[in-house]
This record gives sequence, C-alpha cells and structure tokens, in this order.
Amino acid sequence: MKLHAFYKSPTFLKSVFVVSIFAIFFISAVTFKHINLLNNSSKWVTHSYEVNLELERLFSYLKDSETGQRGFLITKDSTFLEPYLHAKEKIDRSFKIVKSYTKDNPLQENNIRKLEFYINKRQNYLSKTLHMSLNRSLSDEQLKEKMIIGKLTMDSVRSHINEMILLEKKNLIARELSYKDTIKITPIFVYITLLITLVLISISYIRINKDLEKMQVSNNRLKLLNESSSLAEMVGNFGSWQQDITTGVFTFSDNIYRLLGCEPQSFKKGQDDFIKFVHPEDRHTFEGLTSEQIDNKNLPAFTYRVTTKDKKLRYFRTTGRIVTNKMGNDLLIGTTSDVTDEVLSSLSLEQQNLELEASNKELLAFNYVASHDLQEPLRKIQTFISRLSDKEYDKLSDNGKEYINRILSSAERMRILIDDLLQYSRANKTEKVFEKVNLNDLLENAKVDLAQSIEEKSAVIEHESLPKMTVIPFQIQQLFINLIGNSLKYSKDNVPPNIKISCQKVTATEETQIPKNTKDKFYKITFEDNGIGFEQEYAEKIFILFNRLHNKNDYAGTGIGLAICKKIVENHRGFIFAKGEPNIGATFTIYLADN
Amino acid sequence: MQKEYIHIILADDDEDDRLFFTDAFEELKINTKVNTFADGVALMNYLNQPDAVLPDVLFLDLNMPRKNGIECLDEIKSDEKFNDIAIAIFSTSSSEEHIEETFVRGANIYIKKPSDFATLKKVLSDVVTLNWQYHTSGLNKDNFLMRI
Repeated sequence: MKLHAFYKSPTFLKSVFVVSIFAIFFISAVTFKHINLLNNSSKWVTHSYEVNLELERLFSYLKDSETGQRGFLITKDSTFLEPYLHAKEKIDRSFKIVKSYTKDNPLQENNIRKLEFYINKRQNYLSKTLHMSLNRSLSDEQLKEKMIIGKLTMDSVRSHINEMILLEKKNLIARELSYKDTIKITPIFVYITLLITLVLISISYIRINKDLEKMQVSNNRLKLLNESSSLAEMVGNFGSWQQDITTGVFTFSDNIYRLLGCEPQSFKKGQDDFIKFVHPEDRHTFEGLTSEQIDNKNLPAFTYRVTTKDKKLRYFRTTGRIVTNKMGNDLLIGTTSDVTDEVLSSLSLEQQNLELEASNKELLAFNYVASHDLQEPLRKIQTFISRLSDKEYDKLSDNGKEYINRILSSAERMRILIDDLLQYSRANKTEKVFEKVNLNDLLENAKVDLAQSIEEKSAVIEHESLPKMTVIPFQIQQLFINLIGNSLKYSKDNVPPNIKISCQKVTATEETQIPKNTKDKFYKITFEDNGIGFEQEYAEKIFILFNRLHNKNDYAGTGIGLAICKKIVENHRGFIFAKGEPNIGATFTIYLADN
Repeated sequence: MQKEYIHIILADDDEDDRLFFTDAFEELKINTKVNTFADGVALMNYLNQPDAVLPDVLFLDLNMPRKNGIECLDEIKSDEKFNDIAIAIFSTSSSEEHIEETFVRGANIYIKKPSDFATLKKVLSDVVTLNWQYHTSGLNKDNFLMRI
C-alpha cells in the first residue's frame, strides 16, 4: 500500500528523475574509465613492441659491427671498417632509445645496466682486436682467444636481449590480464544499471501517461462544467465575477455582459467600466470594501439599479465572499443577478399589501358601523315600539295591533341578523389567541348559554369526555353554541331533542373525508341529533353565508350560524362536515388538529 | 347629612336615549334625582364646579362628541374627589374591546343599552339599587358586564 501511495505521489517522478541522472553519470564514468584502460593497454602493447624492435635493432647493429670487423681482419680492406664505424654510432643511439623506453621499469633497468656492461665489453674487445690487428701485433693464438671471448660476450648480449624481450612480453601479458579482469565485471554491472534505469523510466512514462489521461478527463469535465455553469447563468439571469483584492483586477463572466445588454467581453474588466451602467443614485453602494467586510470574509448582498446598453432599467443584486487562493492572494468572488422581476413583484406585493391593509381597516370600520351605528337606530325603533305596545296597545285597531306585532318581529329579526353578522366578522378577526383549555368547560359554558332554550324544549344532551386542546376558547365555545343551537332549532315538533356528542382520536389516513397530506392526528368530535335533518345534497351548501334551507317563517335563522362554524373550524386548521337524513336527524363532524 | 334620594347623572349625546332614561326613572318607584348632559365636556364642566352635587351613580355613554366616555372616565378616575361615584358604562356596543378597555380604566359596571323599555327599566332599577360596596369588592371581568 505504501509503495502504491509512493507511486501515486508526485515525489515518485522526481526520485526517478534523480536516480536516472545518477545512473547516467555512473554509466558514463565507467565507460570513460574503460576507454582509458583500453587506451593504456594498447599503449603498452605498442611500447612492448617498440622496446623489442629496438632491442632487435641494437642486436643487429652489434652483429653488423662484428661482421665489419671480421671482414677487415680477414681482408685488411678498409672498406669493411666503414660498417663497423657506422654501427658503433647506431649502437649508441639505439641503446639510448632502449634505455629511455625502459627507464620506468626497475627490472628492465637492471637488465639494461648489465646489457650495457656486456655491450661495452664486446665493443672493447672489438676495438682492442682491431687495434692489435692494425699494429700487426696480433698473433693467431691471440686472435683466436679474443674471438672466443668476443663470441662469449656476444652470447651474453644475446641472452640478455632475449631476457629483456621475454620480460617485456611477460609484462604485457600481466597487464592484459589485469585489464581483462577489470573489464569482465563492469559491463554486467553497467548493463544491470542500464536495465534498472530503463525500467524506472518506463514506469515513469506509464505514470506520466496516466496522469496525462487523467488531466484530459478532468479537463473535459472542467470544460463541461464551465459550459453548464455558463448555461445556468444564462437561464438563471445571473453572472459571476472575481476581483484580486491586491491588484484590483476584475474578471467578469460572459453573462455579466449579457445582463448589461453588451457583447461578452466587450469592455475592459474594470469596476469603473461596470459602474458606468449603474444608476447614478446607486453608485455610492460600490464604495470600497470596508476592513470589517474583509475580516468577515463576506460582502453582504446589495441591490441597485442599472441602465443597460439598450436603455432599459433593471435591478441587480450583488453578493460576494472573500476567499484565499493557493498562492495566498485574497480574492473577492461573487455573483450578480438580475432581480428585476423579483423586485417588481415584491413592489407590487407591497402595494397589494397596503391595499389589503387599507381594506382591512375599512372592514373594521364597517364592523364598527354594524355594531354601533346600525344597532342604535334599530334599538330605538324597538324601544319606541315597546313603549307604543305597552302604553297605547289598547287604543289601536286590530289592524294596528297586527302591524305593531309585525314591526316588532321584523325589528327583532334585524337585530339577530346584525348580531350574527358581528359574530361572523369577529370569527374573521386577525387576532387569534390560542390557549390550552379543557373543551368540557367550553361545552358546559355553551350549555349555560343555551339553558333557556334547552329547558323550553326539554332537550337531552349526552356527551363523552372531551380532551384538553390548544384553541381560541371563545371561538370554540361559539362553535358549540351554534351547533347545539342548530340542533335545538331544527328539532321535530313534539319530540324532545336528543343531542349526542362523541369524541375520538383519529389519524388522517384512516379518515376518508379529510385530505391525507394533512397533519396526522386529529380529534373527531361529532354532534348527532334526532331533528328534522336535511337532504344530503345540501350538506355543503348549508355552510355558505346567508344560505338557508327553510323558510324564515317556519324556522327563525339568518343563515350565518353554520358559516361561523366553518370559519371557526378553519381558523383552527380543521374540517367540518354535515350529514343529513330528512326526518331522521343531522350529524355534524368536526376535525380539530391535535397539536 | 343623609340624602333621601339617589342622585343619578347620565351623559349621552342621544336625545332619545336621554328621554328613555328619564322616562324610565319616572316610572320606577325609586326616589331619584336625574340629571342629564349632552356630552362629556358639559358633564365635566358640571362635575368640576366647586359646589357641584356629585352623583351616586354616573351613567356614561361611550360615543359622544367633543369628549367621549373614555376620556371622561379617565378624568374622573384621576381625581380623588370623585372616588365615591359609581360609574356605569351605558353603551350600544357590546364589543369585547370596549368592555375590556373600560374595565381596565376603572368603570364599575358595563350595561348594553336594552332594546325594549321594560328591560331598560329593570336594568336601571337593578343598577341603582345595587349594593356597590359589595359589587365593587368582588368585581371581576365576568360580572363586570351586566347580564340582562
């Protein structure tokens, strides 16, 4: 694993490079040494041959001088003396050459000294014999003796020269041997080094190739990413930019230019060029980065107006962040988006909000009119009529009495209408204070409120225990009053109303009536009565404001009560449903979210 | 000196209501003296006279020109010399806001103007003969609004 990691790491290539360089140095050093050795050994070969040649030559000169002397001794002709005299000179020269060749070898020097001694001895005998022969004092006996000595000396010279040649040969062989020894191991060594280097370089080549492939893949990916991001910028109506904080140089993406209505990269990448497009009143927002922003590494988003090249007013929003790149430079990178649609829609939303607020205020004012100004004249009409019927009733004709009664009932109906409307608008009120209360208490309050009516009709109300819930108490109480009141109102003649209230905890999934995507847990409270009921086809209609199923002369009512119920249940994010069967009864089911 | 009648004042800008009010007391067999004022300014001018005879019960309409009932209530409650006056709010409105506001500002009872004369008489009779000391000591938001 470690090896693999090393292979992957960039130090691997560097190491291979260093090792290869060393290997090449090593190989060249070894090669240089070998060439030197080769050169030396060939020099030595030449040297040995030269020494041998010169020794042979020296010996032949000696022979020449002897032959000349012998010729003279036999013929007494002085022309034979010439080679003898020449040879002497040549011998001297040749000997000097040999001496100079062998001066670095002590063994050969020793031989040279001996050789010199014998050559001198030989020369002395030659010249002595010659001298005696010139003076005619040489007897045959003496000559024979001298000749034998000369021959012996000559033999010694010959043997010495042979010895020297042999020695030279021996030296040569020894040198060649040592050269061969050196040269035998090193090529293998060099070869192995070369092989290893080759392997290393091959591995590096594979590695570089792989890296190159990877680079190409990532390059392609980068290109794709660039393209998709530029496409995203075009679709998303935004552009990106970056600024080197130290140099102040900007780089804009193509889409920034497009947002300004220009051709990509059509103006210089400076902030000054960009600011020319910004609305003069908004240019101050571009005043330099504060040190605080640099510390926080954050350029908060700001919105400004821009006039594009084709003179259109657009809203831009710019935001950015400071990042430090690998070179340690601080860069401000950011995006600028065209938020015109957003700004315009939020402006129009604001306008709508204002209008809504105004209309809400008007509605509140209307509520006041309904609660006070409308009630006041009505109350006075009612009071005056009550005075009239109290004080003057007897004085009226039968028709007059009938009219008075009709006015009374109409006025009463109007009062109920106004009261109900007031309640409905109160159920709409924005202020909703939720409290955790015991629903049983609210039900008891509702029963107290309806006590008179319950007593009149001898109604029986049975109920299961209700839970504690977080609700708007007065609204839920109103809901109970309206539902029970409804059952009391639409009861059958001569049959005492029987109202059953049951409650159970359910989940949205097991109930068919409520949407499945709503909150899981609900309290399902049902109000079931034995009243006149209604046709199921009206089950939804009865919750609509002012919708009535019966003639107002048969059953008093404003058509507001159940609309209020619906409103209240909706305020609690619940549901209300009605089920009816004529002459059997009606069932109202409410679902209140358990939170 | 023990008064032999109950002194009652009504401040209401509505002439009809003032008429009903005085008629009702005339028909009631209670010894009362009823004064009426057409707005808050007239009422306060009267009360602030040094020799004014202060009422036992003051009925205050809320919606009046020049000075409304709430302003009168504040002025009366901020002056110690009016401490003994029982204040009944007498209004057409029965909105929670009005009930809450007048309760907090120190009124003693809230009456919604009834819409028939017999009820009016009964309400006024009940209020005037109420044991104020007992009512005020046990005053809470539930019994503040008079049930008719």
